[in-house]
Amino acid sequence: MSIQADLNVILPEIVLAIFAMLALLGGVYTRKDGAAPILVWLTGLVMVVLAAWIAANGEGTRIAFNGMFIDDGFARFSKVAILIAAAIVLVMSQDYMQRRGLLRFEFPILVALGTVGMMMMVSAGDLMALYMGLELQSLSLYVIAALRRDSVKSTEAGLKYFVLGALSSGMLLYGASLVYGYAGTTLFSGIIQTALEGEVSIGLLFGLIFLISGLAFKVSAVPFHMWTPDVYEGSPTPVTAYFATAPKLAAMGLFARVLFDAFGGAVGDWQQVIAVLSLFSMFLGAVGAIGQWEFKRLMAYSSITHMGFALMGLAAGNAFGVQAMLIYMAIYVTMNVGTFAFILMMERDGVPITDIRALNMYARREPGKAMAMLVLLFSLAGVPPFLGFFGKLYVLRAAYEGGLVWLAVAGVIASVIAAFYYLRIVYYMYFGEEGEVLETNSTPVLWGALMVSAAVMLLGIVNMFGVETAAASAAATLVN
Amino acid sequence: MSLFLIAALPFLGAMLPAILIRAGRNASASATGSVTLLALIGLLVHVPDVLAGRPVSARIDWLPSLGLNANFYLDGLGLLFASLILGIGLLIIIYARFYLSRQDPMGQFYAYLLLFQGAMVGIVLSDNILLLLVFWELTSLSSFLLIGYWRHLPEGRQGARMALAVTAGGGLAMIGGMLILGNIAGSYDLSVILTQKAAIQDSPLYLTALILILLGCFTKSAQFPFHFWLPHAMAAPTPVSAYLHSATMVKAGLFLMARMWPVLAGTDAWFYIVASTGLVTMVLGAVIALFKDDLKALLAFSTVSHLGLITMLLGIGTPLAAVVAVFHIINHATFKAALFMTAGIIDHSVHTRDIRSLGGLRRLMPVTFVLATLAALSMAGVPPLNGFLSKEMMLEEVAHTHWITSPWLLMAVVTFGALFSAAYSFRYIAHVFLGPVRRDYPIKPHDPNFGMWVSPAILVVLVVAIGLFPMAIAGDLVAVAAGAVTGQALPPYELKLWHGVSPALFMSIIALGGGVILLALYAPVNRLWLAARRPEAKAIYDAGIAAIERFSRWLTDLLHDGALSRYGAIFTVSILALAVWAWTTGVVGPQTRPALEPGPIAYVGWVALVASALSVAVFHHNRLLMLVLIGVSGLMVAMTFNYLSAPDLALTQISVEVVTIILMLLALNFMPQESPRESSFGRRARDITISVGSGLGMGGLIYAIMTRGFAQPSISEYHLANAKTGGGGTNVVNVILVDFRGFDTFGEIIVLGIAAIVIYAITESILGSSVRARLLNRVPNRPLAGDAHPMIMVVITRVMMPLALIVAAYIFFRGHNDPGGGFIAGLIAAIAIIMQYMASGFGWAAERQRLPYHAIIGSGVLIAALTGVGAWFNQMPFLTSAFGYVHLSGLEPFELATAALFDLGVFLAVVGAVLLALESLSRYAWQPNTVSEYPMDINPAREVGETRGKEA
Repeated sequence: MSIQADLNVILPEIVLAIFAMLALLGGVYTRKDGAAPILVWLTGLVMVVLAAWIAANGEGTRIAFNGMFIDDGFARFSKVAILIAAAIVLVMSQDYMQRRGLLRFEFPILVALGTVGMMMMVSAGDLMALYMGLELQSLSLYVIAALRRDSVKSTEAGLKYFVLGALSSGMLLYGASLVYGYAGTTLFSGIIQTALEGEVSIGLLFGLIFLISGLAFKVSAVPFHMWTPDVYEGSPTPVTAYFATAPKLAAMGLFARVLFDAFGGAVGDWQQVIAVLSLFSMFLGAVGAIGQWEFKRLMAYSSITHMGFALMGLAAGNAFGVQAMLIYMAIYVTMNVGTFAFILMMERDGVPITDIRALNMYARREPGKAMAMLVLLFSLAGVPPFLGFFGKLYVLRAAYEGGLVWLAVAGVIASVIAAFYYLRIVYYMYFGEEGEVLETNSTPVLWGALMVSAAVMLLGIVNMFGVETAAASAAATLVN
Repeated sequence: MSLFLIAALPFLGAMLPAILIRAGRNASASATGSVTLLALIGLLVHVPDVLAGRPVSARIDWLPSLGLNANFYLDGLGLLFASLILGIGLLIIIYARFYLSRQDPMGQFYAYLLLFQGAMVGIVLSDNILLLLVFWELTSLSSFLLIGYWRHLPEGRQGARMALAVTAGGGLAMIGGMLILGNIAGSYDLSVILTQKAAIQDSPLYLTALILILLGCFTKSAQFPFHFWLPHAMAAPTPVSAYLHSATMVKAGLFLMARMWPVLAGTDAWFYIVASTGLVTMVLGAVIALFKDDLKALLAFSTVSHLGLITMLLGIGTPLAAVVAVFHIINHATFKAALFMTAGIIDHSVHTRDIRSLGGLRRLMPVTFVLATLAALSMAGVPPLNGFLSKEMMLEEVAHTHWITSPWLLMAVVTFGALFSAAYSFRYIAHVFLGPVRRDYPIKPHDPNFGMWVSPAILVVLVVAIGLFPMAIAGDLVAVAAGAVTGQALPPYELKLWHGVSPALFMSIIALGGGVILLALYAPVNRLWLAARRPEAKAIYDAGIAAIERFSRWLTDLLHDGALSRYGAIFTVSILALAVWAWTTGVVGPQTRPALEPGPIAYVGWVALVASALSVAVFHHNRLLMLVLIGVSGLMVAMTFNYLSAPDLALTQISVEVVTIILMLLALNFMPQESPRESSFGRRARDITISVGSGLGMGGLIYAIMTRGFAQPSISEYHLANAKTGGGGTNVVNVILVDFRGFDTFGEIIVLGIAAIVIYAITESILGSSVRARLLNRVPNRPLAGDAHPMIMVVITRVMMPLALIVAAYIFFRGHNDPGGGFIAGLIAAIAIIMQYMASGFGWAAERQRLPYHAIIGSGVLIAALTGVGAWFNQMPFLTSAFGYVHLSGLEPFELATAALFDLGVFLAVVGAVLLALESLSRYAWQPNTVSEYPMDINPAREVGETRGKEA
């Protein structure tokens, strides 16, 4: 295959990368932060256009660079979701960051570069491509986490994230080299051949274990989740919103790629590990969030729980499980976009407020927004009839049919525990004690994000906007 | 009318009242009423079919892959509940129109009421358990909204939260049970599941499914130990209490138990869980109800008690008990809704619900008195009212049921409960309506207008009518509903007043008589009750929540205390655990590669390495000592390379080691000599265990891997075979660096250069900020050496410099064939120059440095690039190397390779990068205008202080 054809396959990634680099040069040589708002919108626009392009142009499976890069239904599904999520979060953050003097021109560029990394991750067909994508994404995230350099909390969170992230990357790399040593190739298609022939050797198994630990860190699955609460709380809220959405999707996509493309023949070897990670994540997230009053920290635990559920889909080890995971993640991201849009609005006298007790009697002042939040929170809790329930139902069924009945039952119990703290927020909004007034002056973007995601939670139950079938065909291309 | 339409009508209609409220309260109420009426008529159209035993159904596929389909069907049970929901709903709508005051948001109230109604109808008509789940939780949600929009809720906040948390949580638990059922049956359609009794009850997951489903039912129907939420939800407006908390929502749990009866009932587990729970709830509710002073609280606990009664009947598991359960559902719905409405009337007319400030109302409110008395007598089980009928049948059923092998235990306990039940019913009459007229009512009591009492009146008419003519009015409905519950032919039975002299009659007489006596003794019994210590369910709930919150806090504080060391520990332990798992479950093949025989030197080296590593851990508080020990480790590693015949690596290791140690020495300049001791003994013990464990694990893994062959032959063979012929060099490492993997190296030197420039840029910006002033004003924590530039050192470094550069050149040139190369040479040259900075001072050295380091880096990269480009001119790909032998007279033939030129680029880039980085870092310590003029010319006469002032 000629290099021309290879480049055609990764054209979207190239376009975004070149855009980011041009923007960087432009930022350096022109007005610097003054142009940042425009750049934010421009980056968002480019991402949305790319998403539309990928969605429209996707046909079949194309392979580039001798199998290192795969453009299939699964990759396209994930990329569209990643691009849209990143674009929306980026645009949502513009007003918030600008008003607080945080909007540096590097922010949209770092987000764009991180997004390139994520696109690479979900398309990876090779351990090296995997690592490249992962590190491009991680490095951008390390910087973004410490974006507020004058805040001790933010820099500390960023540093911790970096140190632990480096440790996990090291584990992942070690695992990758073990896999290479025992499979004799870094291509997933070659590794799966080795895994299918006879027993998985101890070296390959260790390689798999270390790979899983590294990836579990990226999806913040317990016990590799330690960074999550600190980073969520310490980072500026738009950054937290970004962390909670696109990177999670990408990491889950990559996780699925590695498990099914490279180790699909050895489901028995990883199923138990993933199931245990899923179990721990669901319960620790659910129990941990109960004691939190800080909204962002609470969302950190919430995301840990949700990742546990998404992992449950993977643990099922079949195409239905992958489909369930994709649907779950798509719904999860939508819910988080709406919720973070709301958190971005919360302030008092211009100072951001993230204590959930500040929401006391909120419904009386802003019934519309309170209703939207009610829908989102119920959906996050997985209460029917909202979309969040369907996501849970999918993964639970997948786990059940994958033979993990105990995990499905445990998941149900965890969701009962988790429902408690979501409902508590609803309770504060509708009842609670009278307290200081919470202002939520919304920009049209934030208001739109909140309302649209709430509406999606309600209207999506009709046919999930076609995501269900798209996820099914995406999963089918991955698992065969 | 299609079942879809019946289920959808309330949802569609929910918008009407909210819109029409602008046209007035009557418009809003009548729109709501019309919607309900329409749905009710649509339902009644199907009555003949259903009574004839032909269930109606309607199906649409929704999400088939999930098993979720919009399938509805209407059988006897569905008909019974749907008509209760819509019929009582209609009465409540009329009642609420007059009950709600002008300030209340009536439009929203009706909208949410319809939403709730739709959800309830959806539950009872669903033919798909997942669909049922959706409607199930929708009732929790809409009930929350109904209460949430009630503006004046002084005490009800907690109640609303509790109700939501308990019922929604139970519903979520039910998902698990439904999934299991659906999977066993192979379909999520109820009509299929209900035919799979044997498969479900034989499944090992039966008990799990049963418990999860019952969790949902018990929480919704307020069964012990979840009964506490219902009384606290009574802060809601009375129409809501009457509708949700007595007639419909709380019956959803009963409905589901009845619905699942054919497949779940009949086992010991079902009997003991359901019947016992029902029994406990019934007795507990009845006892507490008697002592409540709030009218609605009394009714709430009485509801709990009656729900328990029905649950018990369903739990008994015989078809006849199911008939009684169905009959009592009808009866309870009629008299209890009527009672709630009368309680609301009293609240409305007297402005209090406290029984202690009521009494004597029979003269002031005669209509209400008649309605309330009839309903309460029915609740007590007095003939000839409908409550008596079902209670008699219940007692009869209980009389022949064994409970824990005892034939009379159940009977005794139920009679005890019935006695209290009679007592509180009588109390509702006696303490509210009878007795003398009081003078201190909050406002003067009066009967309400017609609109408000018509609804309870209709219900009371039903109460009496069913009591007198049970077969004619309710017989068919009970039969068809009970038939649907049991799914089999019913045993012969008759709904009638007089069953002859039977145990049930005696139990009934005991209950009624005992109730009267108990009420007569109410004052002393109440004192006893108040004096007794009794567990308060709400307090237990609150304490439980607080305990969970504490536990959560404890857990998160334990795991996320912010300390990186703890995170690292968790991380390491987790990986260690995974590794142990992999080791124990994996297949470890036999050792295939023989280990080398380690000689004494290897052991010495190993011991030295371990000793230095251990010493670092022990002495790490002393930073300088630690640095020295790290250096020892590095040297030992270099020696190891040497021992294992890798001189290139050894050379590289040594030079890198020197550079890094110098770098760290620079940093040490700004740090206290000792690091603080802050870890406790326990923490150190933990860390030691973890690090020893993971170190041994890692070592073991490496040993295991090294002694076994890899999947493919090593690539070294290829390099060894081709280094000389393909790359023209015998030093394979160097050939790899500059030839085989030249492109990698090219990338690396660029990265190295970028890194150095970044360090420079960061230093620049830091030194341009306020940090600069702090650095200048820094007071070292101990006096500097008097002599910053000792003469011996200055002399030696200057003498050494040309020698070192020659060594570098030598290393560079021999690199292609012998250990060495551009990288190592670059490091050696850099070290030689750094020594000048250290010995003679920054200013002195910088003055003599004429080439900017940036340029050196740039030229290195450029030379490497041009070498690569050169290949293009020979129609070869980028960086293809070439070599040839040059014969000059008088000299031996020698080799010239383009790789050497490339290596020169590497050399320059390394020199530039290392020096730029170190120079940048050392500038933190440098103070301007303190060039030591005479580094070698030390005048012993000069004062120490003067020296320090001038030099740095």
